[in-house]
Amino acid sequence: MTAPLAGVRVIEMGQLIAVPWATKMLADMGAQVIRLESCDRLESYRTDALFQNSVDGEFWNRGGNFYEHNRNKLGITLDLSQPEGLAILRDLISIADIFVENFTPRVVKNFDLEPHSLREIKPDIIMVSSTGYGYTGPWANFGATGPATEGASGLSYMTGYRDGPPVMSEIPYTDYTSGEHTVFAIMAALMHQLRTGEGQFVDVSQTQATSVTVPEALLDYAANQRIAPRVGNEDSAMAPHGCYPCSGDETWVVIAVSTDDQWASLCRILGKEDWLKDSRFADSLSRWQHRLDLDTMLPAVTREWDSKDLMNRLQNVGVAAGAVMDSSDLLFDPHLLDRGFYELVPHDSSTGMPPLPYASRPWKFETTPPVQGKAGPIIGEHNKLVLGDLLGISEEGMTALEAKRIIGYAPTNPRAVSRPSPEEQVRLGRMQRYDADYRERLNQAYGSG
Amino acid sequence: MPQGALEGIKVLDLTHHIAGPYCTKLLADFGADVLKVERPEGDPSRRMPPFFHDETDIEKSLLFLYLNTNKRGVTLNLKSRQGIDMVKQLAQESDMVVENFSPRVMPGLGLGFETLRELNASLVFVSISNFGQTGPYRDYRATDIVEYAMGGLMYIFGTNQGTPLKHALHQAQFKAGTDSASAALMAMYHQRMTGEGQHVDVSIQECVASGLRDVIDNYTYTGGVRRRQPNHSGDLTRMRATSDGYILPNPGITARMNWNAVVEFLDAPELDDDKFRTASAQLANAEELGEIMDRSFLNKKKYDMFFGAHKLRFIYGIVQSPEEVMTDEQFKARGFFVEVDHPATGTLTYPGAPFNMDGTPWEIRKPAPTLGEHNREVWGEKFGYSDLELGQLRAMEVI
Repeated sequence: MTAPLAGVRVIEMGQLIAVPWATKMLADMGAQVIRLESCDRLESYRTDALFQNSVDGEFWNRGGNFYEHNRNKLGITLDLSQPEGLAILRDLISIADIFVENFTPRVVKNFDLEPHSLREIKPDIIMVSSTGYGYTGPWANFGATGPATEGASGLSYMTGYRDGPPVMSEIPYTDYTSGEHTVFAIMAALMHQLRTGEGQFVDVSQTQATSVTVPEALLDYAANQRIAPRVGNEDSAMAPHGCYPCSGDETWVVIAVSTDDQWASLCRILGKEDWLKDSRFADSLSRWQHRLDLDTMLPAVTREWDSKDLMNRLQNVGVAAGAVMDSSDLLFDPHLLDRGFYELVPHDSSTGMPPLPYASRPWKFETTPPVQGKAGPIIGEHNKLVLGDLLGISEEGMTALEAKRIIGYAPTNPRAVSRPSPEEQVRLGRMQRYDADYRERLNQAYGSG
Repeated sequence: MPQGALEGIKVLDLTHHIAGPYCTKLLADFGADVLKVERPEGDPSRRMPPFFHDETDIEKSLLFLYLNTNKRGVTLNLKSRQGIDMVKQLAQESDMVVENFSPRVMPGLGLGFETLRELNASLVFVSISNFGQTGPYRDYRATDIVEYAMGGLMYIFGTNQGTPLKHALHQAQFKAGTDSASAALMAMYHQRMTGEGQHVDVSIQECVASGLRDVIDNYTYTGGVRRRQPNHSGDLTRMRATSDGYILPNPGITARMNWNAVVEFLDAPELDDDKFRTASAQLANAEELGEIMDRSFLNKKKYDMFFGAHKLRFIYGIVQSPEEVMTDEQFKARGFFVEVDHPATGTLTYPGAPFNMDGTPWEIRKPAPTLGEHNREVWGEKFGYSDLELGQLRAMEVI
């Protein structure tokens, strides 16, 4: 059985996460994704988070954040500042179903890659643009980062500890939110193309794609002119509802109680039957009114517990609870292992990297399997396959392109981001710890590491 | 008149709460024909705050009204035999069923995928659940905070020495709704190509765990366990308070290439000093740098800074309140907010399309259904139940 998107061809002019994450999902599900890169303007994810922190040799082919977002794609290099490079891109677009990019409209216009130009090359092309604030409007050409669109969307304003300032995500959170909507957008456009033969232009605003996920806040303002205060992990109805410390260093459990039965079960497991007699906690409304008392009382009790043990015991009596999982908890979690969520992906042999587990997809299809995972391309890996075999450029032609530096196999001026030593990372508080035996543990769980 | 992108796709929507309804809202808003089946007392999200004018009324939950636009709504008691038969009838003529019960419920009702497949071989059956249909946690309970914790987003979110934090509201549910809608269409694409249906299993935990930059690879590449990051006071990209709110500075590479431009923009001549000029100097003199920056920002207004920064191509961001989001010129120019008229609330302004498509419109064709609004239309006109029979079904608590 082939993967569901077999036969769909995507040309990606993406960078970092918002578009690459979306096309990774399409590639996993069978689409042929051809990703453009520039040797002159190397994507920063190629040179950061390097395998074993080594800056030796072709380090740009060992970047963790690059591999996190580019699995199963074909990679070519192309210098679009040269007309011949741009002509090759137009040839690729002429045989593609979808062209997707995340640059500002200014850049797209400079390269003459606007929707009307693409339609001249391929009348039924689906073009997808993903920008911080949208392809149109007065902010269209404002550059944006994940934190910027999180801030503009309304999400950040609502998020943070009680009485504190807004707290931002530490990853480009909205890149993922918009990436998720971009997968959906592409699928919707593809369904329409399948039914009618028509392509179209899809304009994803990363801010808009995030604002649609905070409707409670926006509608509360529209209907009631109310802006709710930041309240940390508190809930609007449940109590206790929060994150509490456990026995180990930096281990935590979250607990969310909605019913009287769950409250009684929680008290019993924690050995705090006396709380059941406390009139402050007699019913859900009263518990909610005294939620700050609960948040003060719980840590002293949860500190006696191992977070996973407490999670399992509470879940066994029907209380929603979860250990706050760090990276090693996730990788070795019995449930995620059972579901095969992290998938072993082999790397090109030139990298010297063993196959490593990566997050797969949040869905499982019963009959159409995803394609067998292969790591994102090393730089220029598929120049020959795509330009030679697919576009029919001769060997001499390829050599000439390389001589003119229109294509290449190494970055022009790579600069590795060297991270501080593990000891320093821990001292600075960036890392909780380093596991000396991590390769052994990965080998045990995944057969490679 | 141009049609929606998903015109012609018939969806039987058995979902409730947030994740499932957001999935089917995305489908409905882009043109799919979605029939929502609610239990006779209504989707529990009808009882979730906030409410229109704070009136606790099952037709006035703002979240419910938002999540169920463009759907027709019927009620049905899935604990009755007749109710089960009616769902089966609907499933026979649908392209897709979407449900987000806990994994044991649908098979327990005799509505599992295996059963429905026998009635309709091309049925796409999408199940959304907290931890997926398989595995040791499949019956575990979860709310948004549990998904944040177990999906790995919470451990790295919050202040370095503070308690792990989650985003406000229900982000994990919305992530899952979006991913489910994508997966549903991938399965639909296959169905339209081959005629074959299948079961799709979406785990909300995995939706969260799918988007964690620099977490898993830190461990697999170096053995490092990344925690909530520290944020030194001289960090040039640290969020700063202005006189009227918060701004997210980001001078980008200009900070390296042309420090004077940064000094001039911040109007802080004391920064024109070698002890702040390079990244290592900034780190060494972080505290002093931070104090000067704080003072400079507190003297300015956030929108002035935001627009001023973008004139210089500094990629500053801005923290907008819901009120500011609703009045910002960018959203206005793009027509993001839309007016929706619902019988219980009158006309109200809703957030609109997540993205704009130029060939197939996103539009609100109808507001969220009132409870049982389309019972007569669906059960009566389509399935031929007479008014008398509908009365009997109501008396038997089937609808």
